[in-house]
Amino acid sequence: MAAWLVRRLAASIAIVWAVVTLTFIIVHLAHGSPCGQPDGRPVSPEVCADLTRRFGLDQPIWIQYVKYLTALLRGDLGESLALHRPVAAALAEALPNTFALALTALILDFALGLALGIYQAARERRFGDIALGNAALFVNSMPTFWLGLVLLLVFGERLHWFPVGGPRDLVRCPRVDSLLCFGDFLWHLTLPALTLGLVGAAATARYQRAALLEVIRQDYVRTARAKGLPERRVLMVHALRNALLPLVTLFGLTFPFLLTGAVLVETVFAWPGMGRLAVTAILQRDYPIVTAASLVASVMVVLGNLLADALYGVADPRIRVRAS
Amino acid sequence: MATTRPSSRLTTAAALAGLLLVGACARKGGCTGDYCGTLVIATGGEPDVLLPPVSDRAITRDVTDQLFLKLADLGLSGNTIGDEDFQPLLAERWEWDTPTTLVFHLDPRARWQDGRAVTAADVAFTYDIYTDSLVSSPFRPSLRQISAVTTRDSLTVVFRFRQRYPEMFYDAVYHMRILPSHLLRELPRGQWRSAGFGRAPVGDGPYRFVAWRAGESLELAADSTFFLGRPHIRRLIWRFTPDQQVAVTQLIAGDADAVEVLVTPDNRDRAQADTQLTIYPYKGATYGYVGFNLTAPGDSTKPHPLFGDRELRRALFMTVDRGALLHNVFGDLAKVPPGPMSQLSWIWDPETRELPHDSARAARSLTRLGWVDSDGDGIRDHDGHPLAFRLLVPTTSAVRRQYARLLQEQFRTMGIDVQLDEVDFSVFNERARAGRFDALINAWNTDPTPSSGIRESWTRAGFGRSNYGRYENPAFERLVDRAVTSVLSRDEARRTWRAAIEILNQDAPGIFLFATENIAAVHKRVADVRIRPDSWLALVRTWRIPADRLTDRDRVER
Repeated sequence: MAAWLVRRLAASIAIVWAVVTLTFIIVHLAHGSPCGQPDGRPVSPEVCADLTRRFGLDQPIWIQYVKYLTALLRGDLGESLALHRPVAAALAEALPNTFALALTALILDFALGLALGIYQAARERRFGDIALGNAALFVNSMPTFWLGLVLLLVFGERLHWFPVGGPRDLVRCPRVDSLLCFGDFLWHLTLPALTLGLVGAAATARYQRAALLEVIRQDYVRTARAKGLPERRVLMVHALRNALLPLVTLFGLTFPFLLTGAVLVETVFAWPGMGRLAVTAILQRDYPIVTAASLVASVMVVLGNLLADALYGVADPRIRVRAS
Repeated sequence: MATTRPSSRLTTAAALAGLLLVGACARKGGCTGDYCGTLVIATGGEPDVLLPPVSDRAITRDVTDQLFLKLADLGLSGNTIGDEDFQPLLAERWEWDTPTTLVFHLDPRARWQDGRAVTAADVAFTYDIYTDSLVSSPFRPSLRQISAVTTRDSLTVVFRFRQRYPEMFYDAVYHMRILPSHLLRELPRGQWRSAGFGRAPVGDGPYRFVAWRAGESLELAADSTFFLGRPHIRRLIWRFTPDQQVAVTQLIAGDADAVEVLVTPDNRDRAQADTQLTIYPYKGATYGYVGFNLTAPGDSTKPHPLFGDRELRRALFMTVDRGALLHNVFGDLAKVPPGPMSQLSWIWDPETRELPHDSARAARSLTRLGWVDSDGDGIRDHDGHPLAFRLLVPTTSAVRRQYARLLQEQFRTMGIDVQLDEVDFSVFNERARAGRFDALINAWNTDPTPSSGIRESWTRAGFGRSNYGRYENPAFERLVDRAVTSVLSRDEARRTWRAAIEILNQDAPGIFLFATENIAAVHKRVADVRIRPDSWLALVRTWRIPADRLTDRDRVER
């Protein structure tokens, strides 16, 4: 088990290093320079030259790369070219918002997906199954940003049930320091998390339905039924436990996907997270932020995979035996 | 058998619903009277650093103008010549010792928000910072005519100029926001952009800094001791959104109280239909144009194979129906400019002579130049070369992309093939700067004076800077120099500028497409809204929310 873990960790580090290296090279070789301003004003040649010199952008790319890696090993992510502040500080402010959004979306995704999948499997080929299956397919095929815009328009702009952007009421709750403000935060989180979670839930429901239907046809389920157990108990206790195994893998992989997939949702809902930070950085050629965002995303994907493997091992003893 | 009891499920659901309800409900506050209220301003940008010398972003200016005072500021007339239309701020008065020596007397009541008095030494320090090459301020070129700033006593400061010219006073006061020397003197000059002070500044303006949540919001609170009068609105909050369209959505949804520009006619109509909003039109500072590269792409020593020819440029100019394009893109939210200028500029003169839109004359010119469709493919050609060029457009601007498509179609009907190079803004900027384009659609935000912008963008002084197409005409430059340095009355300056612009128009270095008309929208409970076109929030300290219009949110105490 320990050897397996060491191998996986080594592979994970190699993957993260490869992603960071590729990102570094690609963003530095891409056309464009960090000398533009978001409001369209040109940066004077003197200011641009100063920026280039201060950040060593006039040096060969391999020297910049070596310096970057050396700093990274010391835990220094550098300074943002556009924000004029340490990258770590910018990420530290943005990440909690993205985590909150992704985690809430994940909970919605699996809670709703599981419930729908079970409901559909229990009513296989009946009206409820078919209707929900088609509805799930419809939602799953919607681009996330479009669903976000629809929810924003209907529930935010038209019905005024939810705020149309940002994580809080800036006047009444500038900080989450009371139950009232926590409620306000959840209220602001609802539409972005629903946007991200609904699309995922539709896919999860399809997975869950298929997994449950496969298990239901196995001998031990038939035996449970033959013993006269109520159908509800057969489904929820005997069948579901084994049908959850594929979902465990999915769970580990979905979180990093939601984390990186939050980019568009954060833009639509003016959510101050890592995705929005990264998009702005790409447009402004803010190399240190772009590279750091890739680093965080790749670490999340790798951790998600590790978590999925570990959870799978916990859930299925046969995996543990094989690994050891 | 483990089952969930209905009562516990109900309790959970009720608790969650209650929590959400509590979040949605108003927290009643207690502020009453004339100095309450919060103005939430939705904006598509975010400041980079709250230190005026190192940032020229419009949003940074909007915020820092509430924190740091100038010596004096532009009046509502927008007149940048002489000093009679300027309003005192940090300086209570001024006089001219000699034609090139300007003396300011600071208001003795002025205080930094940490309690220290604002002194002449702060002004001299500020000038030193703005002109230090290590700080590399974008405003440094605007101060080049000022030779020295010295102190006479703690409240008297003397500006000396290299020469006499019409906008001496404007240069002395408009670009610099005075800084606290006692807090910034020790800061290494090369580290101003990343200084901690720039994220939590201490100023001397009507508002004091409260908080900045990156990517989300920035909050200022009124300084009740402000020496020029306590601001009426107690709190200003900027809410940062990914773009201006999202900002408008937040306004319409009631999540914000004000936006600087509504951008499109559709947004204007939505805001007009909203009974909670009042709209305020004002002159825009932006003009957009098709710029021709007069030199070969990437090689400024050779003329461009097409646009090096003045007659061809004139024919292309006459091909374009600028009024129709403008109507299509902006409706009535912009005007066709009579040259390279925004509506904000005081040299705007609809009587300025320009080339007309005359497609028949344009066709005759092209034929005379040898550009005819010899092979019947619908594209004119000459010596085997088609009349074709590429138009560089930034993908970040919906307006410019729309213009590009409409222009492509108008040129096609004249037998001219235009291919679009749509690139992101960073690449656009890089290629424009390096001269790697045939033609581009560019837009400039201008200062209230034409002196800096036109010089930078349309004379030799702008080569390698903002004169991307490398246009030059000695006759035009002589008149510009005269208008900037010699002329002393505003009428005379206006006449000289008009003559210069008419020369440029005849050379057709570009096709001037639009000059924007801005429309701000502000919640109707806000009274006394006055907007100065060059800086829409410059007068926000005089805006107010009357006591009888305060909402629960305005009364919230924190």
